[in-house]
Amino acid sequence: MANRRAIVKRRKAVRNIKKITRTMQLIATARFQAALNRAVATRPYTDKLAELVADLSGVAEDFAHPLLESRETVKRSSLIILTSNRGLCGGYNANVLRTAVKHLREQKAAGIETDVHMVGKKGVSAFRFQQRPTVESITDIEDKPRFQQVEPIGQNLIERFLSGEVDAVHVAYMRFFSAGRQIPEVFQLLPLTQPATEGSGSTSYEIKPSAEKLLNEILPATVRMRLFQSFNDAAVSEQIARMAAMKAATEAAQDMIGNLTREYNRARQTQITLELLDIVGGANALN
Amino acid sequence: MAGASTFHVSVVTPEGAVLDCEATSAAFPAFDGEIGILPNHAPLLAKVGIGVLRVTSGGETQRLFIDGGFAQVVDNRLSVLTEQARPVDELDGAAVDELFEQARAATGSDEASVEARDAAYERARVQRRLTRS
Repeated sequence: MANRRAIVKRRKAVRNIKKITRTMQLIATARFQAALNRAVATRPYTDKLAELVADLSGVAEDFAHPLLESRETVKRSSLIILTSNRGLCGGYNANVLRTAVKHLREQKAAGIETDVHMVGKKGVSAFRFQQRPTVESITDIEDKPRFQQVEPIGQNLIERFLSGEVDAVHVAYMRFFSAGRQIPEVFQLLPLTQPATEGSGSTSYEIKPSAEKLLNEILPATVRMRLFQSFNDAAVSEQIARMAAMKAATEAAQDMIGNLTREYNRARQTQITLELLDIVGGANALN
Repeated sequence: MAGASTFHVSVVTPEGAVLDCEATSAAFPAFDGEIGILPNHAPLLAKVGIGVLRVTSGGETQRLFIDGGFAQVVDNRLSVLTEQARPVDELDGAAVDELFEQARAATGSDEASVEARDAAYERARVQRRLTRS
């Protein structure tokens, strides 16, 4: 009797949890759509910037800019790690952090000191637990990164790079390829990898003030934009990871309810059999 | 090319397209003064300053506050790339005033911070002027 009660209670608890995880899955799905739309909305700007750079570099040949220059000896670098503020998203943060730590080890092996800029509460606490130093913790960026929030971070990095404080800047984040594929990745933000200069350049523009001056403005804008895009990618990937994790949790809860129901029925049956045996035994004793 | 009577205007920011329409005329603030664009303009690339972009189509004029960036005119298309663009009507007077006071009180110590301060001041000043008019 007591056993049956316990099973019923447990099943009820699992059912409630299932309701919660299911809701969280739905929320993550909605947020994923919104995040995806935001990430897609950045496309026109990025494409246009790339187009301008291509057009301009056709005009200003062998153009050199400090942001494009690779330094011969790299002594110090920065790494920005993009993690989430909230948990319950499966292996999302663990994957990003594993890739980031691998990068840190490689840098160390090459004799490069690395400053870590951590974005997201989960990353901050993981590094605190591992007792790895971070120079900056940013936790005020929600799952809707705004350009105005990201811009100062990018500006700060550009300044540190230009002043020679660091010789390279990398970003570790979950890159979004499609709804079914996200891969943790470390990419080099600075020095900028030479943009592809193929095609275009056929239109002869009237350029104000001059191609060089425009490039001087466009390159930092490109850096800020790339950083912003990686924030957007990370936001989308986080929602996908949460969606997948919550779907798995909901399914696991469903399985568990099935098992508990079976167990409950068996317990009930056993009890009925026992009761019948009692009655039959009693009747036999009277004869 | 047969002279078209309208041209396409698009304003894009990192967060998405703000404006995408046909227009009969437009004027944007270049770094050194306003540049007006009419249909069939010659190809142009220009640095954009802080100010107001005016787009006229069908007798109606839309005004957008834009904060620096780049403008490109090619094939009867004007593309403005800016990091911030907002319709003038949506600017919030009180918030802008606060921004203005902050920018005015800020001080700079070295070249970079003075530049940043000047830019912030200019941004706030233009926005304030727009909310007052």
